[in-house]
Amino acid sequence: MPELRVVGQSPFRKRVTVFVGHFGSGKTEISLNFALNAAGQGAKVSLVDLDVVKPYFRSRAARAILEHAGIELIAPTGEHHHADLPILVPAIRDSFRDTSRRVILDCGGDDTGARALGAISDVVPEEDSERLLVLNFRRPFTQNAGEAEQMIRGIEAVGRMKITGLISNTHLMRETTPEIVMEGYDMARETADRVGVPLVAVTVDEGTAATLDGTSFDPPVMVLRRIVHPPFEQSPRTGTDGPLFVLN
Amino acid sequence: MAKKLMKGSEAIGEAAVQAGCKLFYGYPITPQNEIPEYMSHRLPQIGGTFVQAESEVSASNMLYGAAGSGERVMTSSSSPGISLMTEAISYMAGSELPVVLVNIMRAGPGLGGILPSQADYFQATKGGGHGDYRLLVLAPWSVQEAADLVQDGFDLADHYRNPVMILGDGLIGQMMEPVEFHKDRKPIKELKEKIWAATGYDGTRPRAIINSLFLDPATLEKHNHKLQAKYAEMTRDEIRYETYGTDKDYDILIVAYGTVARVCSTAMEDLEADGIKAAMIRPISLFPFPYEAIRKAADKADAVLVVELSAGQMIEDVRLALEGNKPIHFHGRMGGMLASPEEVMEKVKEIKAGKSQEVSHV
Repeated sequence: MPELRVVGQSPFRKRVTVFVGHFGSGKTEISLNFALNAAGQGAKVSLVDLDVVKPYFRSRAARAILEHAGIELIAPTGEHHHADLPILVPAIRDSFRDTSRRVILDCGGDDTGARALGAISDVVPEEDSERLLVLNFRRPFTQNAGEAEQMIRGIEAVGRMKITGLISNTHLMRETTPEIVMEGYDMARETADRVGVPLVAVTVDEGTAATLDGTSFDPPVMVLRRIVHPPFEQSPRTGTDGPLFVLN
Repeated sequence: MAKKLMKGSEAIGEAAVQAGCKLFYGYPITPQNEIPEYMSHRLPQIGGTFVQAESEVSASNMLYGAAGSGERVMTSSSSPGISLMTEAISYMAGSELPVVLVNIMRAGPGLGGILPSQADYFQATKGGGHGDYRLLVLAPWSVQEAADLVQDGFDLADHYRNPVMILGDGLIGQMMEPVEFHKDRKPIKELKEKIWAATGYDGTRPRAIINSLFLDPATLEKHNHKLQAKYAEMTRDEIRYETYGTDKDYDILIVAYGTVARVCSTAMEDLEADGIKAAMIRPISLFPFPYEAIRKAADKADAVLVVELSAGQMIEDVRLALEGNKPIHFHGRMGGMLASPEEVMEKVKEIKAGKSQEVSHV
């Protein structure tokens, strides 16, 4: 099982956590890590796959991994699992009723993806939820704090809820260097100042974490296990789990 | 420029922009919607034009018009959308128009499904549309290579005055990898002024007419000979492939292209750990096809394994390359199911153990 190692105190205190952000910023990877970690700590967890934007590499593709960890996955089932249709299953609304459950929402990218969030905004408890925006400044359309702010305002408008915190997730996959993490961290702090919300976490993968020894960040650092893999990175020895995912 | 983390679709879009393409006409279809999405954001930033046409039929004919004016222009689609464009593609080949076409293949036939596939190999390399024409077809296996091939594609299209197709499976469009664009990139061909382009008659040069209609049969035959001479030149100069592990001894030669070749490459690493010797050749240009290189690479092997996300369309070309001198085996997945490194390993082991059935010669 992947472990989400949190250096410092966990920034996540609320019952509902919504991950939003630009397309390809890392929401699915962070949602999966976070759900598995919460379940590992004994919480009853529901993961809502609200992604109506990308057709592959969605949270729902990790169904078997999530089920094994006792996490309830709320997403289209059967042949609709693979559909590129904006399906919002009724169970999404129900998921907020059971107040004993931790609910994690993995939203689709950009303001386009946040539209699905807007459609259920009436049932997302404002006081009991945090809405976190994931930022990777190495992605094409958010290359500076100004572009990030524009993205935040767009997502807030169509998602019909305010962003409560930012996550700095700047990376270049295997080519990530400490400099790239720091450059993204600085831009995330600048964005936090501009929009007036706190930077709640810095996320890095295990390989990068090892290179960051001795570097200090204000918010907690969360070390992610990479779960989303294309098929050619699937190790033959661990076997496959669905067409596009494997848990190493 | 600093390296960016890009989806294949975004890298294809940016590569076109870097190559000087300011015009994009397209129609959405999964799994390549991120290409038009990217262009719709990006082209206005550089004074270009993005049009979401009412269908692939109109998009491809807008391409015909734009290319006829000498501008660099691109469209992208996925399998069923490319089928709709094939009439215009034949017209563009007939009228000798340089365009870049991107097909991010999904599973077929018909509407099929939205998951990755390579079942448009025949369509891309053997025609698709009518008449004696060829597309220059390039198949990337990484996001960086997709970006590089799109830029090369524009140069090749201009040089040959012929449509170039970038053929990727769904994964190429959707996966993310670091990509770099070099500002000082030089064209790979010497590019001549497009005196043939229809930009308005000013009396200083012959009238430029973009046309694929020839009512006089002798003229049309002559035109066809001219086209065939270009395809022969491509076959002489534009073959691209890479080999892996062919410097050592090996028993099995794998032939695969696109992301499937990466699956095979993972399998090869594990096969080596198990003491099984396999090498791979990866065609990058599918037309022109590297027949000679495959024949040579197969010399050291006892058997050849073709791996594809199709019923085995490339086998026909591999068979032509081998001229019956080596047994051919095949592993394929269809419907959007992907080949795993484990499956490829198993198949290689079966071949070694004499438990795999050869592809029949029909």
